Amino acid sequence: MTSGANTLVLPIVLPLLGAFLLPLVARFGDGLARALGIVLVVVNIFLGWTLWSAVGTEAAVTALGGFEAPLGIVLYGDRLAALFVAVLAVGALIFWPRAEHGGVKAYTLTLLLVAGGSGLVLSGDLFNIFVFYEIVAVASYGLAASSGDKAGFGAALRYLVLGALGSSLVLIGIGLVYAAAGTLNLADIARLAPEKLSGTTGLAAFLLLVLGFGVKAELFPVNTWVPEVYAAAPMRVTAILAGVVSKLAMVVILRLLVLVFHDPAAISLLMAVAIVTIVAGEFAAYRASDLNRTFAYSSIAQLGLVALALTIPATAGILAAIAVALHHAVVKPAFFVIAAKWRGPLAGLAGGARVAPAAAGLFVLLALSIIGIPPLPGFWAKLVLLGGAFDAGGAYAFAAAVVLAATVVEAAYLFRVVARIWQPAAGAKPAHFAFSDLSPALLLGVILIVATLFVAPIGTALSGAAASAADAGSYVARVLPGRM
Amino acid sequence: MSPDALLVAEYLGRALYGGAILLIAIGIYAMVARYNLMRVLLGLALVESGVNLFLVAIGFRPEAAAPIIVGGVTDVPMVDPLPQALVLTAIVIGVGVLALAAALLIRVKETYGTLDTREVAKFLAAEPADAAPAAGTAVAGTPARETVNAGSAS
Repeated sequence: MTSGANTLVLPIVLPLLGAFLLPLVARFGDGLARALGIVLVVVNIFLGWTLWSAVGTEAAVTALGGFEAPLGIVLYGDRLAALFVAVLAVGALIFWPRAEHGGVKAYTLTLLLVAGGSGLVLSGDLFNIFVFYEIVAVASYGLAASSGDKAGFGAALRYLVLGALGSSLVLIGIGLVYAAAGTLNLADIARLAPEKLSGTTGLAAFLLLVLGFGVKAELFPVNTWVPEVYAAAPMRVTAILAGVVSKLAMVVILRLLVLVFHDPAAISLLMAVAIVTIVAGEFAAYRASDLNRTFAYSSIAQLGLVALALTIPATAGILAAIAVALHHAVVKPAFFVIAAKWRGPLAGLAGGARVAPAAAGLFVLLALSIIGIPPLPGFWAKLVLLGGAFDAGGAYAFAAAVVLAATVVEAAYLFRVVARIWQPAAGAKPAHFAFSDLSPALLLGVILIVATLFVAPIGTALSGAAASAADAGSYVARVLPGRM
Repeated sequence: MSPDALLVAEYLGRALYGGAILLIAIGIYAMVARYNLMRVLLGLALVESGVNLFLVAIGFRPEAAAPIIVGGVTDVPMVDPLPQALVLTAIVIGVGVLALAAALLIRVKETYGTLDTREVAKFLAAEPADAAPAAGTAVAGTPARETVNAGSAS
């Protein structure tokens, strides 16, 4: 195997191996296990970075065990995959659990999440995507229950039931695709899709796959677990699930759209789901009575934006999806850090700016960015999305209008909170933030400001990643040379 | 294979699809129409079995043999082995998920004293201030055990 192949295999294998070694290592001390876990996550960031700089426009492909596609299992690493391998690892690093958050059990599950998530974005065939999706799912069920909190178990079990039903739907969808196309390799399916999957069977398979992956991607109507789990799970878990894991499911939906399902009916279907998700998410966030649920519903709406962006044709849509997803991956975890301390009814937040000026200031910065005030990155993300939608015209113009209306609702509920924070305290004061409580959010705030300064180069880099991700022809040519 | 046997095998293949759809339908009915979490899990198990049966049925050919090469003879029609390999993986994953679900089910019963989804939903919908996070403690009366993750409910 060449070193290029290693950058595809190692981001999956190392955390997976580490996850199973950690309980043994922990016998020699919890600190050692924690350090090993952190080292493995840092290695994954490095591997993601290496892959990003190595691939350029030509994606790296590895056939595992030397069995060539379409019979063998392939890993496909383009810049999109490299980006999300790195983002997942960065998220896990920032929100790495401490000894008091469950110790080695939490480290193991987080590493499993990293391994499964990396596999999910690197997999080149449908069945491995299912397997890695299940690894991610099981790890997140465990993490969701790990607060030891009263609400934790119930929320985790309901999440598990919905997630397992979603996985069954994915499996039926994969079965339909296999029955129609006779292969599970994504490139091979892409080659056969126009002929075999353009009819009702393809549409049914797409519906089932979107519903199944939609559980993790927080799409309507399979997102009922989101407010329950995000309110009950530990903040670190919520931050990773909302910030990164939901995007990984979106990457899978992106691959399916680019490679397999080009049917206008399938696109309209996803668009309808996305619009309902946005509207339901924003209005539910407006009605929410505490910060955790507000952000949970707002997270649903943001993922609706990502799904909507995916329906916009060609590179523009994928660029918008990546931009919105990355921006959300920075902003929402920081919001959840603040919400972890300021629990309880919104009315109790009065006087927050006095008690914790840093947290209040950060809240305003994050709120401005997520609403889309220039020059913050959130503005550029929304601009790319709206620009793509207006260029595409037709139904997309209607979708863009919905996005603008949703932004107004978003601004209303976020500034309601901001106003509350700046009110003088009435009764009990909101909680104070120790530096260590707020540091992950401050770090994300710094990333946000740095991203503001370097918006132009980041935009160029993401355009390149989006262009190669949108190129179905090159995907097939890379995985199946000589089969076009 | 005689024509009669072939016909029987063909009907059997179709019956597999019918059985799969029936299992999935019964399972989903159990999941949405029953409020007992144990029954919901049983419904989930039925759905998973139905999906697995569906996958096996995709590979089934009435005239084909088992996909095992005997004595170097490779030119006989064989059942598609790939869905069978998928189903093996899916069964293993399903067992793991159901075991995890059963473990959580025990926790839910210990914590809330009920398996009724409506009661559990009431706990979850409660304002966080009401459902004060009783970190790592179970309901009074249940024996203290090591919690899944003794930790703060920050």
